[in-house]
Amino acid sequence: MTHSSAPTSHSNGSDFDIDACINRIAAWLPTQAPIKDFVYHNTLESFQHLNFHEALSVAGKMFGALSYLPLGDYQKFYEEGRIRNHGLEWALAKTGLPLAEQQAIRLSLFEPDASGHYPPVALASHGLRNAWLTLLEIDLNALVHPIIFRLLASFFDQGISRWKLPKENESFWQVVKRLSQESLFPLYPFREPAVVRMLDQELDDIILTCLQKIAGDKSVYEQYLLEMLLAHPGWSGMARVVENNPKALLHLRKISLKEVIATELLCELAIVSARKPSGYPKVSELPNLHGIPLLNEDVMRPNVPPRLRVWHEAWEWTLYTELLAALKTQIGELTKPSSTEKSTPQAQAFFCIDERECSIRRYLEEINPAIETFGAAGFFGVDFYYQGMHDAYPVAQCPIVITPKHLVLESSAAPNAKNKKNNGSQLDKIQFSKHSLFRGWLYSQLLGLGYALKMAWTVFRPSSRLPIIKKWSETEAVQSHLHILRENDEPNEDGILLGFSFTEMADKVGNLLRNIGLTKNFAPLVVVVSHGSSSVNNPLFAAYDCGACASKPGSPNARAFAWMANQPQVREILRQRGVDIPDTTHFVASLHNTSRDEITYYDVQTPPPGFQKFKHDMQHALLRNARERCRWFELGPKSTSNQQAHDHVISRATSIFEPRPELDHSNNLYAIVGPRALTRHLFIDRRAFMHSYAPETDPEGSILLGILNAVIPVCGGINLEYLFSRIDNSVYGSGSKLPHNVIGLIGVANGVEGDLRTGLPQQAIEVHEPARLMIVVTQDTAVVDKTIARLGGLKQWLDNEWVRFVACEPQSGDLYLYSQHGWEPIPLPADYSVPAAKRSEEVIIGRTRAIPVHQLTGKAA
Amino acid sequence: MNELLINQLLIACQIIPLLALVLIFLSSGNERKIAAISFGFSHLMGVSVIALLTLWARAGFPNYEFVWFNLLNKEGYEFPVIFYLDRVGAVYLFAIWTIFAIIVKYCRVYLHREAGYKRFFQTIFGFIFGLNLIVLAGSIDMLFAGWEIVGISSFLLIAYYRHRPQPVRNAFRAYTIYRFCDVGLLLGSLMSHKMFHQSPNFSSLSEMFAMHTLPPFSYFWLAIMSWLIILAASGKSAQFPFCFWLPRAMEGPTPSSAIFYGALSIHLGVFLLLRTEPIWGYRILPRVLLFCIGLLTVIIASISECAQSNIKGQIAYASIAQVGFMFMELSLGLNSLVLMHFISNAFLRCYQLLVSPSIIAHMLRVEGTMEADLNLMRHMQYLPLSIRATLPSVIQNSLYVFALEEGNLERLVRKILWDPLKSIGARINRVHFVLQIGLIVLLVTVVALLLKEDLFKNLAAGITSLLMVLMSLAAFGRKNSPIMVWNNVAMSSLLAAASVLIMNPSEPVRQDALLFLSGIVPAWLLGLFVLRIILKNIDFAANPFVYRAVAETRPRLALLLFLSFLGIIGFPITPAFIGVDLMLSHASHHHPWFALPIMIAFVVNGIAAARVFLKLCMGRPNEFSLRDESR
Repeated sequence: MTHSSAPTSHSNGSDFDIDACINRIAAWLPTQAPIKDFVYHNTLESFQHLNFHEALSVAGKMFGALSYLPLGDYQKFYEEGRIRNHGLEWALAKTGLPLAEQQAIRLSLFEPDASGHYPPVALASHGLRNAWLTLLEIDLNALVHPIIFRLLASFFDQGISRWKLPKENESFWQVVKRLSQESLFPLYPFREPAVVRMLDQELDDIILTCLQKIAGDKSVYEQYLLEMLLAHPGWSGMARVVENNPKALLHLRKISLKEVIATELLCELAIVSARKPSGYPKVSELPNLHGIPLLNEDVMRPNVPPRLRVWHEAWEWTLYTELLAALKTQIGELTKPSSTEKSTPQAQAFFCIDERECSIRRYLEEINPAIETFGAAGFFGVDFYYQGMHDAYPVAQCPIVITPKHLVLESSAAPNAKNKKNNGSQLDKIQFSKHSLFRGWLYSQLLGLGYALKMAWTVFRPSSRLPIIKKWSETEAVQSHLHILRENDEPNEDGILLGFSFTEMADKVGNLLRNIGLTKNFAPLVVVVSHGSSSVNNPLFAAYDCGACASKPGSPNARAFAWMANQPQVREILRQRGVDIPDTTHFVASLHNTSRDEITYYDVQTPPPGFQKFKHDMQHALLRNARERCRWFELGPKSTSNQQAHDHVISRATSIFEPRPELDHSNNLYAIVGPRALTRHLFIDRRAFMHSYAPETDPEGSILLGILNAVIPVCGGINLEYLFSRIDNSVYGSGSKLPHNVIGLIGVANGVEGDLRTGLPQQAIEVHEPARLMIVVTQDTAVVDKTIARLGGLKQWLDNEWVRFVACEPQSGDLYLYSQHGWEPIPLPADYSVPAAKRSEEVIIGRTRAIPVHQLTGKAA
Repeated sequence: MNELLINQLLIACQIIPLLALVLIFLSSGNERKIAAISFGFSHLMGVSVIALLTLWARAGFPNYEFVWFNLLNKEGYEFPVIFYLDRVGAVYLFAIWTIFAIIVKYCRVYLHREAGYKRFFQTIFGFIFGLNLIVLAGSIDMLFAGWEIVGISSFLLIAYYRHRPQPVRNAFRAYTIYRFCDVGLLLGSLMSHKMFHQSPNFSSLSEMFAMHTLPPFSYFWLAIMSWLIILAASGKSAQFPFCFWLPRAMEGPTPSSAIFYGALSIHLGVFLLLRTEPIWGYRILPRVLLFCIGLLTVIIASISECAQSNIKGQIAYASIAQVGFMFMELSLGLNSLVLMHFISNAFLRCYQLLVSPSIIAHMLRVEGTMEADLNLMRHMQYLPLSIRATLPSVIQNSLYVFALEEGNLERLVRKILWDPLKSIGARINRVHFVLQIGLIVLLVTVVALLLKEDLFKNLAAGITSLLMVLMSLAAFGRKNSPIMVWNNVAMSSLLAAASVLIMNPSEPVRQDALLFLSGIVPAWLLGLFVLRIILKNIDFAANPFVYRAVAETRPRLALLLFLSFLGIIGFPITPAFIGVDLMLSHASHHHPWFALPIMIAFVVNGIAAARVFLKLCMGRPNEFSLRDESR
């Protein structure tokens, strides 16, 4: 930014530091990246320095959002037994209030809600600016927003419009200036007399002058700017995100929040001056400030409603104890002869930590107890940029917190595969393609009936007999080849190396194996299962893919990992480091399509021994998994046929009118870091992120540190994104996805001139039960303390209770809850016994909502 | 030819959507039930449409007319319920049913668990009812009734997501344009009454056209009528200068945008022109006008399309441009081409809108994005060197700004149409309401005294109608009191009746005025009652821009207010709908120009009343609205 370097010592604003002010304001804006890589994060990231409940209250008063579910919902949970007395007692004790007051709260809990459940009076909706506009009787937002949004959308556009707005290296402000000064039709309203002279000034001067004329007094500048930006949080946030990280876009754009502020202020000044030619009162001259929330005063003062807080914590605690009590029953499994002494399993499978893989792992092991599964972050420790055969750009395949140093290219193995691209019909091609007016006329004149047929087919086709739709996951991938081995140590201009050396490969492979505690007793077949999701007509498709691969399908990582682990040179290095992978062991990569419940195996031209058996078991597991998923779908089949269920999930993933191809991370609740033995005989629904971890190999807590570094932000981010989007879908979430309109390929908005929507749509969260993530770590508190001491910034998540953190000591099975002040032993309810069932199907039958953790007693192994 | 069967099928096509609407309204709101009703009735409609078209085709594609019954029959005025089926109607009917059936199937799943599931299907059946009414109407009057129904259901679907101010605002914007352009049709139908002595049947019109016999009235009136019809068509089809409302109307669920603005609604203007070709097609002037509108639209829409960075806006402008072509084709008399073009464009845009959410995956994962630039350089190589460096970039910037602002049509329309009305209204409102009423009473009394002299009758009527317009404008310009707006609207309607009575105080006119008022007065009183309850604890004037969310907090009151709103604007649910027509015809009986103030009042009243409804019923409730209520 050229303007920010300009000195800010101006006569009218020497004591008002614009840059500092913008930095303070910008912290309150949403930080959602462009939609192509939807990254789950804590929606209230900027409030993380506060305690969870206090943050909710402050955020509510800032954005005008709800903070909890309606009181009636909690009362209903209680009636249904979903909240138990034990949880209530715990939550009441947790308030730390004197007993008498606790008793008073307790009594008030069951009173019906007289006042309704509405958002508070907030800065964004009832602030100074709003009061001022009411006084002026101007609906300024309706006048200014369309102008600003249109400019921003055209500026950011990544490929929808036919004419690109910014020229090479042009910043947003330069574009605005060019269009208003060098066009025959001046850009409205920048040529209005009130502002036309200001266009050539520095940004700081413009902002100060406008603020002076609008707000009047320096004391209200900051609040005015904040309210102006919060009137369209989506676009303000997007400008800030791109300013901080221009690489978030494929086609780079130079923009700063300051430019947006200056442009908008100019617009406002121009319009207000034109409407009120004889002058108008400024914001600071508002006659009556009573009842208007003020920044730095009452807004920042949290005011937590005790009833709702107690209900919410009681609800969460009830859910937590369901898992903890179940874990307690399984603690014996840990001390049984460990896997080293057991017979070698037939096959081992690595899955992503993702809670959607929870059920498929259970089924796979139920079907064949000789299969052992592991959980790890879905990039399998291999981070790189990846450019597929048909990709225009390399994209990072790893959690967003990592910046990869390597690039992996895909090339075709079959000679003629190149021609397969663009083999869609003519109709497909012009679906959105850009054509001249005349051709447009011709097309729409001639092809309409074709579209009638196509439309009728896509809507009316019988769902079970679908045309095969080729996607990234199928067929083509098998014929391609990844360049993983580095042939040249020269980095390219971005400092990125093409491929990995054997030592680097051994590092990556060895690290992952140690993380998940698999260093001996390798099965002859190890399948690395990555996951992705296919859906049609879904702008939010990225949110369904693997969060640990920066919202991409994880197949390249799985393929790279398997290839590396299969290299004799890599195994040799690993052997020297004490990890002995026998020569009889084969690694196979695969991709689990979580929406269709299908699996694709890679590079298996010569199937290793045991592969057919595994494939067969997996197929069964997928069918049963599909049936378990169907229990959530109101319009799904109600029969007990696995095949029918599987057909149904496939038709969901391929219908253009299905807004819920899958329910994604709905109902995520637990994260379990520990050996699989602890959870192997539990039915945890599809609610737990599971990372394998061998506590006995990690006396210093370093492996745990690596795991938590990923689990806390990734799983915690997913959990909180769901929680907030569920609690107030219209402010924290993006509302119903049905009216969404794709803007510039960077986001969605309602209608053509709406603000960008952030968060998750209603269709993703409607069955979610909002509760904070509980992370359970199987390790002694003494070791965990060492890890926590090294957590750095992530410690905030634990200290301020954005996630709950529990240690389960592997020897004794004692459970401790982390708090800022130390570990508290967890009292389990005496009157709760963990429900049991023989097999998963027995649990799910007839159930359409979240199911408490069950013990599975039909163990075969 | 099996006439009886065809007649019954025509009635069936018309009644089935209405039945479905009523059934859904009465149903419990259970999603499965609604889906079953919708599905059943859309199939039933399909069967009737196909049977009807088959029978009609086997009869040799005749221009078929069927008079069902006479809704009103008085000397000099008839309102027959009359159906008409010809080639144009058949094509439209078929397209409507096909797209409707697809959308119903699509929405059954797509809207699953949506809070407004019932509301959506109700409205969409209302829309189809209106569409069928338009397409099968045998007279302009019936067509106008359908036109109004389509307008209101559009309005409701745009404002479907009523929590957010933006959909509500855009619904209002579309509604104002609709309302304004309805003038064209209303006046057109009035004139046809005058000229044909009854609501003109399309069958007789087309005969006249085929025989090349000029209708028996002056060319002047024919020309005015043509322009009015072209105005109505342009508004509905988002043609110049009303292009801007269409992209902004894309606020409802995607399939509703697809069916309304992509496929069907937007082609209604074309339908109207096809139907009324005998009226405007005689002379060259309306044809030239039509051609120019089409051409201007094509130019503006295709330039605007280039700078649309959102997918629905882009499809909307592409569609507008195609309809512009249709207008041009119409002006050249290429009717068959127009029909083909309509079918193609409707399906194409409908499909594009339905799959529009997939554009991200399509562009990023299938096609790969490219940045297209507006490059004029290569066309400029013959320019003098001195301006070659600057001119192209200036032209480029200008084109871009033009495209970005979409030809600036919205501000243009606002400045010419609404701003003057608003400022007059604001000026009137500086006079206190009681004073206003007092003045009116005084003036009307004076006028009544004057009445004794026959000579002053016209003057008196003129003054009354002027007062009526002023009342409407007062309603239009008032921001801070819904009750006053409501009263102003009602006063204006009463004055309309009064002025017509003054003009022609005969017995039939008195009866007609009673008919008119029998619709208006109950609606007014009901509305007043509801408004009093709603506003009891709300200090509206303190926050006139806040939407009060009554539809959410007190849905029954909102429904009542909606009904009274429909009543007071003369929507075809009360006798006032025919009453407006009658009033107009009496008013223009002696002096055709006299219809003008009534028309202005009609439009402005509708807009003002709609604003009251929106401000009070839409929006998201918050603690602020609670604070109001508990006060």
